Amino acid sequence: MEYVLSLLPLAIKMVIVVGILLLLPLPLTWLERKIAAHIQQRPGPMRVGWHGLLQPLADAIKLLTKEDHIPTEADRMLFAVAPVVALVPPFLVFVAIPFGDPVQLFGTTVTLSLADLNVGLLFILAVSGIGVFGTILAGWASNSKYAVLGSLRSIAQMISYEIPMGFSVIGVVMLANSMQLTQIVAAQQGLWNIVLQPIGFFVFFVAGLAEAQRIPFDLPEAEGDLGAGYHTEYSGIRFSLFMLAEYLVLVALAFLNVLLFFGGWLGGPAFLPPFLWLFFKVGLFIWVFMWLRFTFPRYRYDQLMTIGWKVLLPLSLLNILVSGFLML
Amino acid sequence: MARTAGERHGWIGRIFFADLLAGLRLTLGYMMSKTVTHHYPDNEKWVPYQRHRGHHFMNTNDQGEVNCVACGLCSVICPCDCITVIPFETEQGVRRPKVFDIDLARCLYCGLCEDACPADAIKLGQEYEVSTTNRATLTVHLEDLIAAPRKAENGGLVRPAKLEPTGGQHSVLQSGPSSGLDWWSRIRRPR
Repeated sequence: MEYVLSLLPLAIKMVIVVGILLLLPLPLTWLERKIAAHIQQRPGPMRVGWHGLLQPLADAIKLLTKEDHIPTEADRMLFAVAPVVALVPPFLVFVAIPFGDPVQLFGTTVTLSLADLNVGLLFILAVSGIGVFGTILAGWASNSKYAVLGSLRSIAQMISYEIPMGFSVIGVVMLANSMQLTQIVAAQQGLWNIVLQPIGFFVFFVAGLAEAQRIPFDLPEAEGDLGAGYHTEYSGIRFSLFMLAEYLVLVALAFLNVLLFFGGWLGGPAFLPPFLWLFFKVGLFIWVFMWLRFTFPRYRYDQLMTIGWKVLLPLSLLNILVSGFLML
Repeated sequence: MARTAGERHGWIGRIFFADLLAGLRLTLGYMMSKTVTHHYPDNEKWVPYQRHRGHHFMNTNDQGEVNCVACGLCSVICPCDCITVIPFETEQGVRRPKVFDIDLARCLYCGLCEDACPADAIKLGQEYEVSTTNRATLTVHLEDLIAAPRKAENGGLVRPAKLEPTGGQHSVLQSGPSSGLDWWSRIRRPR
């Protein structure tokens, strides 16, 4: 009984986090459409609810009630499994992400994370690497040339960008002497890592954009040349699972950028609770990602590979070298 | 052709992505500027200029009689054959139209009937919402043409309006200040 009671806070936290994550794409699609519209001097969705706020809800109902089509030539089992496989890693990433320092609540100390792993950063990088499996399975199971091309592109892209991404955070780990995310944030007391690790941040930011397959690196789902990439054949609820996964990766990426380079929940104004300050920074990053999306065209495929292997990788290695020398 | 921002600043520009930053600055400016969309059926409606050729109307004289003398010139000149005129003679011995039908589904709003009319009777107005769910109502008769709205004053303005669900879902002008003739000046143009 004691043991079960001790699990209660964890269960509550899990329900809250999973619930928020499942609902998060609704405001994010609205935000994305609004930002796209205003960059093009349009008002965007306006008719469903105040300033179109209920538009995502209407879209969700539309997606859920649509026919769930499976092509006859598709591998039915893998086709059904792929969206779930794509969805699990982004959720797993949030297991290790802390939202603030432990707080006192009802007389007990509550940590604001599901699990503050001492290898948190490594766990996150490893788990986000699994995300590529959903893409591979979706592309292969669809038995369609566009889907296969999209998934092939995405495999190559994710493999080549995971390396600079991993290297770029080593500088941060060296500064904090830990891979625990709470420790990394604590080490930024006074001075955020963005000041000490500008190159590391740049590499992480760009590689992260490529990992999340956002414009300018969204070749796997390039609408112009591939239909919709690996989820060309998906419709209805299975497609919405891919959408969900994509938005969660985006949010996770924003969280990582803030935690690793922008001091996490540190340095906010006194009247704001630290976790709200963290969410504010994360929201700012999400806004920047969307701003980038509607500003830049897509890179060509060979340019993408060139940037990954000939620019970002040497830059991240240089960053490790320079930080190492400076710390000695 | 102007050089890109990246080239203008030489190798320093290349390293710090001056061209990408210039693009971001531009889109940020657009993001912060006002939208130019007319909130057409819901809140706003654009009233066309005087020269606009919309829904027809029939002019009447001071005695309330139609100006039309049923000469049939409009019907003859009409390139899509959409005007039917059948004349009759009144007690005063004046030739007037007994039937004056325009099939709006066929009409191409060229305005030739207006030009051909010797009696200043048939005119094309500024009304442009003629959508309907029943094709029969697209044939308008003489009394519809007399009742149809005349040319609006101050065309070219965006005026407050409201979507009326009755009567075929049309946007109806409301009283209130207009956003004026220069609504297009909100369009942001990069220098």
